[in-house]
Amino acid sequence: MDPLPSRNTRLAQRRAGFASASEMLDYAAQGQTGISFYNAKGELLTALAWREVRERAHVTARKLIGAGFAVGERLLITADTWPGFFDSFFGAQYAGLIPVPVSIPVGIGGKDAYLDQLRRQLAASGAVAAVGIDDLAGFLAAAAGEYPAVRLHGGKGILDALPEKAVDLRPLGPGDLCYIQFSSGSTRHPHGVQITQRALMANLAGMTGPAGLDVIPGDRAVSWLPLYHDMGLIGFLMAPLSCQLSIDYLTPRDFARRPMQWLNVISRNRGTISYSPSFGYDLSTRRGVTQVPAGLDLSCWRRAGIGGDMIRPEVLNRFADAFEPSGFDRKAFIPSYGMAEVCLAITFSPKGVGVRTDVVDRVALGKDQAAIPAANPQDAQRARSFVLCGRVLPGHLLEVRGPDGKLLADRGVGRIFIKGPSVMPGYFGEPEASREVLSDDGWLDTGDLGYWLAGEIVVTGRAKDLIIINGRNVWPQDIEWAIEARGVVKSGDAAAFSIDTGAGERVVVAVLARVSGKEERLALARDVAGAVREAIAVDCDVALVPPTSGLPMTTSGKLSRTRTKANYLAGLYAAPASPPKPVAA
Amino acid sequence: MPDPGTGEPLLRTAHQLIVENDDIASTLELPRLASRVDVIREICRHLAPYQAGERPIVGATVIAKDLTIDSLAIMDMVMELEDSFDVSIPMNVVAEIHTVDQLADTILDLRSKR
Repeated sequence: MDPLPSRNTRLAQRRAGFASASEMLDYAAQGQTGISFYNAKGELLTALAWREVRERAHVTARKLIGAGFAVGERLLITADTWPGFFDSFFGAQYAGLIPVPVSIPVGIGGKDAYLDQLRRQLAASGAVAAVGIDDLAGFLAAAAGEYPAVRLHGGKGILDALPEKAVDLRPLGPGDLCYIQFSSGSTRHPHGVQITQRALMANLAGMTGPAGLDVIPGDRAVSWLPLYHDMGLIGFLMAPLSCQLSIDYLTPRDFARRPMQWLNVISRNRGTISYSPSFGYDLSTRRGVTQVPAGLDLSCWRRAGIGGDMIRPEVLNRFADAFEPSGFDRKAFIPSYGMAEVCLAITFSPKGVGVRTDVVDRVALGKDQAAIPAANPQDAQRARSFVLCGRVLPGHLLEVRGPDGKLLADRGVGRIFIKGPSVMPGYFGEPEASREVLSDDGWLDTGDLGYWLAGEIVVTGRAKDLIIINGRNVWPQDIEWAIEARGVVKSGDAAAFSIDTGAGERVVVAVLARVSGKEERLALARDVAGAVREAIAVDCDVALVPPTSGLPMTTSGKLSRTRTKANYLAGLYAAPASPPKPVAA
Repeated sequence: MPDPGTGEPLLRTAHQLIVENDDIASTLELPRLASRVDVIREICRHLAPYQAGERPIVGATVIAKDLTIDSLAIMDMVMELEDSFDVSIPMNVVAEIHTVDQLADTILDLRSKR
């Protein structure tokens, strides 16, 4: 099997500007490019030209229509990176069904948490069918059991087994949804972002055009990003498809095991566009640098994007230092900013200049919400670097607002708002949650904090409690609930937040220590960390709070994670190994 | 290949064995080479650095909970066990493993099905 070509010899490149996802696939199917799947050893498993992706999707669509599914009904798909995902996702596009891609289980012992998440996603999307890889058929059955609306569930075989009927296709059109993106809201109360065909087309035009990645004929995308994440599905399926590029895929799991295969595939196939959150560059540097294969040549990689988490300039520098000898060009780095609520992209930093930072004074940042240039940029105690993320995509407006809603000028830190054709119409079936972030005149509250610098946005953090670990959104409520659900602490006795260690985010869980002795305190901390690891698959530090002082509350009696974090950073809470601090009278 | 930590020889994998013994490999019984004790010993070797306090690591030890191991290290361990015993644990099966015993039995079960 040979890799698919990077160029169509007879089909002119169209860069976005289509009316719908199925129209993009119809056009790309006239060329020779397509998608290839690689395993952890870097071996090519399957290659499907876009023409084959389309043919297979048509078959799936006729089966879905033939089975009686109605236009607009939702199809939940566990989005592992394999050909069956493309069959069901595009099959739904041609059948007029709305796909709902969801994650696959992570880590050991995560079954119960995963089933719980599946159930909530089935409920929130009102799905009528749920499919995935065969290994997950049992989980899908267990989750679907409580939802009579789910008329069909199982592995991919369950779709294949449906009879293909001679029915007309009924592709989703420009006025329809394209899919529902779960990445917002906690797993207890998931919010599905409605990705409309129209908003997606607008975002793709920005992303692939001159203000974005400026895609050209011969570009080739390489990705290990999960397809249940907006950066994976839109950035590395929809965007390359909108320009008829070939894409080479590794699964996220295989990337985590063998990060060097990512760079290997880029080098071998002459990939030109690939993205990762900072942590992926970090993993590749830490694990890969000792096993750089002879002949690794990354000089082809002209768009090395970073997005999905806070951008870490020092991580990117280390990566560039490690792989410059292999031809990597640090000027290929493109810091980017975006979120699922605008499909994917909001800003791209300019091309060909790499990562640019602004070094500001930490104290002024914390106290006055002002990004004042640091007097001594070398002083790690006082100075803090942030990455410039570029200008907003054409046709969109970006504002930074102070607490009173007034627009802030350069270097004033406030909440970032966006308006424009990529913004979602709201969360699926959640008018109230939608109103919380979307104003009547179309402004979306991103929940992020940042400041302007000569027309570019600099993102400094988040106003909302969301924790992002290795590119994965984790809501503190889910962490607290996992601990409480396992009976480790009583309800309301835990507060989760993240701290910026400089090298990444670290989860801290503050719990009320209703035990004294050293052994008991250590056991409590171990149980808390264990519960979090088992349910959420993230690691955390545990801080013990004297029960007499309690966890800080807001004036309306809700847990204040912000104040808990401030107390923690001020050293008010003890580490498990140290004796309880005397409580002030 | 000796263990960098203890200097003891690592468990040989079936793959290495075939290379070394060439055509007589088929006459050797692979299950005997990876007995339950072997598998548990190999798991415990990976987990030993994460022992919490004095509590010994036993079959009933809940990996993610009773030890100080982090999730990335768990993933690494599973990956290395998969490599050394030449099995691939499906994600739904991984999601149901909690204890050392369950992990060992999963590996033995997958080996017996090959």
